[in-house]
Amino acid sequence: MSEKVTMEKPKSAEPTTRKPLPSDKPQWETPKMEDVSEEVMAQPYIRFT
Amino acid sequence: MAHRIDSLGAPLLVTWQLTRDCDLACLHCCTDSAPGKRLRDELDAGEALRVAGEIAAAGVPYVMLAGGEPLVSPHFWAVAESLGAAGVTLKIETNGQKVDTAVAERLARLPIRSVQVSLDGDTEAVYARQRPGGTLERAHAACRALVAAGLPLEITFAPTRFNIHEAGAVIERSRSLGAFRFNTGRLMRIGTAARHWSKVEPDEAAYAAFRSLLAGESSHGDMELLYEPFTLQEAMRSSLGEPPATLLVLPNGWVKVSAALPHICADLRQRNFAQAWDDYRRAWYDATMASAIRSALEDEGRHAQANSWQMMSVTA
Repeated sequence: MSEKVTMEKPKSAEPTTRKPLPSDKPQWETPKMEDVSEEVMAQPYIRFT
Repeated sequence: MAHRIDSLGAPLLVTWQLTRDCDLACLHCCTDSAPGKRLRDELDAGEALRVAGEIAAAGVPYVMLAGGEPLVSPHFWAVAESLGAAGVTLKIETNGQKVDTAVAERLARLPIRSVQVSLDGDTEAVYARQRPGGTLERAHAACRALVAAGLPLEITFAPTRFNIHEAGAVIERSRSLGAFRFNTGRLMRIGTAARHWSKVEPDEAAYAAFRSLLAGESSHGDMELLYEPFTLQEAMRSSLGEPPATLLVLPNGWVKVSAALPHICADLRQRNFAQAWDDYRRAWYDATMASAIRSALEDEGRHAQANSWQMMSVTA
């Protein structure tokens, strides 16, 4: 899950340099058919609906 | 703790119950399906096609179309062909009663990895008792038509007090029909099965003989036997450590968190598919889920509430 980012109002003037914020969107892994293992399909609800 | 689902941009598999309607009234049904049991608020064709488009756009590699009986859904073909045209691999779960040569040949034009047919008996009497409204002859004819059309055939067998003594014959029949896999496990105490539990549940001696049969049958032949995890409880326990990267979509577009529990994490009428996947991942970090699973592990009878769906509040 993405981290919760809280923004605080600056107490003084805006600093000239900023710490980089974590990327808003993580790099998701694209699911592939090869990843659909026997284990995935072995869930009871899937194998015998 | 990070889970596999946290790194995936979409589920590996979507199980989509297109309708609760069915042409049979099986005593062991886990979805409470039967003739005339279509939900009043099921997705219509336009909504289902929109969801199919979102599933494909999200990059889901594999979709299982189920029911009820998916072939009684008026938009089964539109959804299947839409997903297939978008390159999504399909699995179809059917009782086979509506599968003839023409249906099998139409299915064979889709990117199908498996068609799963239920064979809950090897004699007409046993099959008809467990699956009122159906005939074993039609189920066998469906299997032959699917194999003749070049489709991979998978068989599923739900053991009950009525049919467990025919398990060996069904395994042998599945081999002779050309199935590549035979699925079974302990009967799930959900839906219609839960309501008839005292009548349908096999006793422990029957289960012991059944497991012994499965162990012996696994060691020979080309057909794979899939029966582990044997119980729903085992699967639920492992899901606590690693939530499944699969999504279960109900006929009305609601998305379930766990098949054996009533919790709903998203409504595909309100949320698009990508948002629903995000809701699902978030749901597994909600203390409610861990508590509900632990509670269900303590008392199998609580699975009977699985179809009394309840919306969770997990939206960001």
